[in-house]
This record gives sequence, structure tokens and C-alpha cells, in this order.
Amino acid sequence: MGNYILRRIVSAIAVMAMVGVFVFLLLRLAPGDPAAMIAGRNAPPEAVAAIREQLGLNAPLSVQFMRWAFSILQGDFGTSIFSGWPVLELVAQRLEPTISLSILTMILSVTVGVSFGILAAWRTGRPVDRLLTAFSAFGYSIPVFVIGFFLIYFFAIRTRWLPVQGYVPIEVDLGRWFVHLVLPTVALSLGYIAFIARVTRASMVEVLSEDYMRTAAAKGASSYAMLFHHALKNAGVPILTVIGISFAYLIGGVVLTETVFNIPGIGRLVVDAINNRDYPIIQSVLILTSGLYVLINLTVDLAYTLIDPRIRY
Amino acid sequence: MTISRRHLFKAGIAAGLAVSIPSVLRAQTTPTAGQTVRMVKGDLRVFDPIWTATNITADHGAAIYDTLFTLDSKLMPRAQMVGKWGVSNDKKTYTFELRDGLGWHDGTPVTAADCVASIRRWGQVHPGGQIILARASDISTKDDKTFTISLKDPLGVLIDILADLTPPCLFIMREKDANRPATEQVTTNIGSGPFRFNEALAKPGASFTYDRNDKYVPRKEPSDGLAGGKIVNVDRVIWENVADQQTALAALQAGEIDYLQDPPADLYPVIESDPNLELQVLDKGGWDMVLRMNFLQPPFNNVKVRQAVLHLIDQKAMLRAAFGNPKYFKTVTSIFGDTTPVSNDENTGWYKEDGDPEKAKQLLAEAGYAGEKVVILTATDWREGDNASQLLAASLRKIGVNAELASMTWGELSTRRASKDPVENGGWSVFITSEPDYSLGNPLASPFLLANGDKAWYGWPTNDEYEALRVKWADVESLEERKAVARKMQKLWWDFVGDVRLGKYVSPITRRKTLTGVIGMPQIVPMWNMQKTSA
Repeated sequence: MGNYILRRIVSAIAVMAMVGVFVFLLLRLAPGDPAAMIAGRNAPPEAVAAIREQLGLNAPLSVQFMRWAFSILQGDFGTSIFSGWPVLELVAQRLEPTISLSILTMILSVTVGVSFGILAAWRTGRPVDRLLTAFSAFGYSIPVFVIGFFLIYFFAIRTRWLPVQGYVPIEVDLGRWFVHLVLPTVALSLGYIAFIARVTRASMVEVLSEDYMRTAAAKGASSYAMLFHHALKNAGVPILTVIGISFAYLIGGVVLTETVFNIPGIGRLVVDAINNRDYPIIQSVLILTSGLYVLINLTVDLAYTLIDPRIRY
Repeated sequence: MTISRRHLFKAGIAAGLAVSIPSVLRAQTTPTAGQTVRMVKGDLRVFDPIWTATNITADHGAAIYDTLFTLDSKLMPRAQMVGKWGVSNDKKTYTFELRDGLGWHDGTPVTAADCVASIRRWGQVHPGGQIILARASDISTKDDKTFTISLKDPLGVLIDILADLTPPCLFIMREKDANRPATEQVTTNIGSGPFRFNEALAKPGASFTYDRNDKYVPRKEPSDGLAGGKIVNVDRVIWENVADQQTALAALQAGEIDYLQDPPADLYPVIESDPNLELQVLDKGGWDMVLRMNFLQPPFNNVKVRQAVLHLIDQKAMLRAAFGNPKYFKTVTSIFGDTTPVSNDENTGWYKEDGDPEKAKQLLAEAGYAGEKVVILTATDWREGDNASQLLAASLRKIGVNAELASMTWGELSTRRASKDPVENGGWSVFITSEPDYSLGNPLASPFLLANGDKAWYGWPTNDEYEALRVKWADVESLEERKAVARKMQKLWWDFVGDVRLGKYVSPITRRKTLTGVIGMPQIVPMWNMQKTSA
């Protein structure tokens, strides 16, 4: 187990290094000039040139890359080209909203999605199964911004029950933190509920048709025991895989939700940085995100051993 | 006593509800605190208003810094930090004395040395400031509160330049900040203005907080434009960066924010139908759309082809395509804009209500146009400009021009427009941009009014006779003399067609009716004078 974890950590570092090189080259080869954006829309060419020189953007690509790589190795992720703020400080500010939203979304999605999946599998072919299958198709097909604006219209503008937008840090006010995350969590969860429900249903249907389930039923096991003690545990590996992938995807994929509900998270930080060509932010966040992906995948792999004793590393 | 999981679960839910219900109620009743104004203005990315010329940074500068001079509502220069000033009989030495009570947010007093260092730094980047530095023989302090600008030759527009609102404006910084080169950003955010920047609450990309500077001593005169007393009536102003305009409008409707800058035109009907909201045009001059042509490459190196475009353009059609609502746009025929004191009608016979395609065709034939490719750079992330570019391409094709659109982001356009190469090698022929109408009234500050070839703005127009008149602008003192020079300059400009104007538009802001007293001026939206009443 120890060797396995060590190998995965080494491979994570290699992945992060490759991401770093790839992102650096991609950004520099793409058109666009941060100096022109800093100088302003109608700034004279000499003002743009002076800023470009001051930012070191006139240096050869190899020199720029080496400077950046050495800084990263020393733990210095640089500063924003625009604001001059340390990138790690900016990332730290944005982590809490994204992680809060992701965790609440996963809690809601897993709770509801797995429940719906089990219910649909238990009642395969019956109206409740068809209803939940239709719901899954609906939830999976509707873009998050459509759901988002729908929720805003009814629950924030019409009824004024919940705020339209914004984020309150958990340490400032737990209640307001929760209230501000209700609508984005619901909007974001719908797709994940649908996805997890479909996978859970498929996995459970397969397990429920196994011989040992018939044996359990013949021995007089209750429905509860059959579903939760026998079937769910055996159907758990694919469900856990999907949850892991979803969580990893959420960390980097909440940008639309963050935009619609104006949540200052990592997704918006990256999108704004891409629009502005703020190279240090984009490079650093993508490297850190890739590391997080690897970490989540590793955690999921290790979790397999808890639900399936046959799996050993 | 044992606690079952079920009990623990119930207790947890009860505790969560108890904590969150008061917040739910707050969300319904008082989303915005009484003396806090929440504004959505855009994304403040750069803090140094000298390092960048963007308007949002100029707004930030106007909040935390102060200026020596500024403009009143009639766009006339008035003293702000300066208490007394005078000019010598030979008009070569200006003496300025700071008024009493000026202090930095760090508690130290503002000195003449701060002003001298700030003028020198700003003079490196502001076109008018460059003229002052070039003409100055000495800029130095006399004592803690007094400094002088000594000139080699008189400069009639010196006070106008010091008061200019075209970013980068002359915001006075501490000497130790202003001693940095203008190409390095100052990020200390310590000024002497009516608001203090709250560093602890700053969340770049998300929100910035400005607190009232209780130690600020305003001028005694009543507020007039950006001049007069800067009275702050609220405790705090928070700039929220809401990326999605629909969300921002929903937040405004729900009372979570008080002010939304530049809502998209397609949302105007929604705003107008909401009894709690109001559209207001703050900058009545607005922005002029300008079509820049590349003088260095065919076919626009030929004056006849440029004249053909001038005659072709149907400004109203362009403005309709770009903005839709005629309430907020207007045709413009003066190179000095529509609302500036030097705007005039000299040599504007080319203007026709629907354009003149036949005349354009004739001029193209006279030019000997032989189907050279015309590449129109268009930024798809500036919807209005992109719409106008699409119509321009169609109009050019109709008169037989081989026009091709090159779609990109504004960032990419900013890079490509610097290329002087032929279109086959990544160059360009035409792009559309916009410039504040106010700025066009000052040919010393606006890069759009240069015609000095390689030193001119993108497109690099050249005309020596025009340039000689433009340089003379710095020496004339009275408005009447400037008007006369302006007419001569415009006559020449429309003959050699330095650029083509597509009309002007104004962008109203939206605010809740509970927020009043927002000052309407070109370029800058100040935060003093605002008042907020409860709904």
C-alpha cells in the first residue's frame, strides 16, 4: 500500500510538470497581449511596449519558462500581472467558495442521486422507475445556467426567499453562508443527481439479478437488508468511481454556476485570468488543479479497498 | 443517557435551521445595509491610475486620490487641491500653493514634493503631460506647500492639461510612490482622497471596499461636476464584480446592489418596467465610434479610397446595427466630437443621411482600386463593434471592395493592430473602436487626433500641415482662438480622411431610485455626493 501511494505521488508530480510545460506553451503561443489590456483600449503603442518590457514579456520564451519554473520549484507561484497580488493569496481566497459549493453539491447529489438510483432499481419497469429515468434525462440535459436563472427568478426575484447572488464566508456567518449557497447547490446538483442516479440504477439492477440476491430473498431477508446490506455494497465500486470523477470535475467545472450566482471561486478566477491573459494565475491554478485531480483519484482508489475487500494494492 | 444517531441527526438539522433562519429573513428584508452602497462597475484589475489608462482604474483613482485641478460641470478647469495659484507676467512661471488640511491616508501631510514627483511620473505617460515636461525648464518646490512649474516658452493650455480627465489623469500620490517609474505599478493604494481603500476586505476579481475618509477636508464651494466640495454621504462603497449582466440586473431588482454600470441595451425594457429602477446617462458626451484605416498599406494608402469609405458610411445604419435603440445614439460629423467646446461643422459636406454609395463607387474607380484584399479586424467580445464591423464588410462588398472579416478577441486585436505588415503577412486594413467624446475635444491628449505618421496612433495617418496646426494648439490661450484652429484642422482632416466617424452613443447606468446624487461627468464616475435612502 505504501509503495503504491508513493508511486502515485511521484506520478502526480510528473503530471503536474507536464501540465506546466503544456499550459505555458499554449498560453504563449495563443494570440493576445496582457500589456495591451493593462495599458487600456486606446493606449498608444509606446505605452504598451513599455509595460510589456517591464513585465518581462519581451524575453525569449525559454528564458521566461526557466524563470517561472525555478520560481515554482522554490514555492513561489508569482504575482498577478494585473493586480500585483500573490497568486497563492488569490487562490486561497477563492478556494473556500469553490470547495464549499462542491461539498454541498456532492452531499446533495450523492444523497438524492443514490436514493433515486436504488429506488428506480428496486422498482424496475414500474411507474416510479420511469419517472425517475425521465427526471434523470431532464436533469442531465438542461444546462446549469438555465436552471440557475429559473431558480433566481422564482426564489430570489419573485418570492425574495433567497439571495440572487454572492458569497458569505463560513467564518463570517454560517447561516448566510448556507443561504447564499442553496440556489447554486440545487442548480449544480441537478445534473450530478441525474448522473449518479443513472449509474446507481444500472449497477443495482445488475446486482439485484445475481444468484446470491435470489438466495437472500429465499432466506427471507427484508427488502431493506437486501438493498442496503447486500446489493448496495456490491454495486458500490462503479458508484464510488462516478462520485470521485464528479467531485474532481466539480472543482474545476463549477465556473458556469459561479458566474450565474456570482460566487468568487476558482473557476471564475481562471476564466477571468484567461480573458485577461494573466499568465501566472492560469499556470499556477492549472498546476494546482491537476495535482488535486490526482489526489482525488488516489483517494477514490484507496476507498475501493474499504468497500471491496478483494481489491489490494 | 444515550443519544441515538436519529436524535443527533434531528438536533443537527434544528441547529442548522436556527442559525440560518435569521439570515433567510435578512435576505428578504434588508439585503443592503443603510449606509453602504453596492456598485457593479466591472473588474478592477489594476490599481495604479497612472500605469493604466482604463476608466475603472481612473474611478478607483478618483476615490482614493485627489487632483490639483479638475473640471466643473461646464468642463472648465477649477482648482481642487490647489488653494492659490498664479502665473508670472511673462507667462513662463506658474506658482501653486496647496490648500490647508490635505493629508494622506497614512496620517502624514500632503506636501509640494509629492505634487512635483506626481507631475513628473504622470508626465511620462500622458500626452499633455509629455508636452509640459518637454517645455518645462524646472519643476520644483518652494516650500512644503508651494511648488512652481517654469517653462522655456509659454504654454497656454497648461491648466487645462493639469485638469484633463482623459486617463491617465494627474492623481497626486505620495512622493515615495510617485518616484517609481511610470512603467511600474504602484499598489500601495494610499492617497489623500475622500475615500480610503480597505485593503483587508479587498478580494481581487470579486469585490473591493472603500471607506469614507473621515479626515478628508473638502473645499468650501458647492459640488459642481468634479469640482467643489467632495462631500461623502455614505460610510462605505463596495464594488462588486458580477460577471453576468443578467445576474447583476436580478441583484439590482432584488435590492442586493444599488448601481449597475453599462447594462446591456437589450435589458433596457426590463429596467424601464421596474418602478424601483432608473436608467440615467451620466456621461452625456458618450463615446464616438471610429473607423481606423491603415495608411501604410493598400488600398488605404490611397486618399481616394479613404474618401470613398467616408462617403459610403451610413452612420444611422451603423448605429442601429450596433446599439439598436435610437434614444441612445446620434450622428457625429466633427472630428472633435459632438459635445466639446471646439466641435464644429467645417468641411462636413460629405455627410449624407443614408451615405452615398454611388459617390463611393466613383471615388474607388478614380483611385484605380484593383481588388486588393481589405482585412477588417473585429473583436467578437465587443458586441457593438462586431455588429458594426459586419455591416461595414457588407457595405464595402456592395461597392465592389474585396472585404474580409477577421474575427478575434479584443486582446488579439490589440496585438494585431500594431502590425505594419501587408495583410498577406498578418497585417490589417481596418478596425473599429471607440473613444470618449470628451477626449476628442483635446488634440493634445487624444491619440485619435494625431497625424504624425509613425508616431501617430494605429493606422498611422500622416499630414504635415495638420500636424503643424495641432502643435500650435498648445500655444493658444483663449477658447475662441482654439475654435478657429479646430476649424482649420478639421478642414484638413476630412480632406485627407485621417479616420472615419460612425456616430456616437451614450451608455446609461442603472440605479435603484433610493440611490441619488450620482455625479454625471465624462470619463469618471465619482463616489462622493451620492446619497442612499431606505426603500
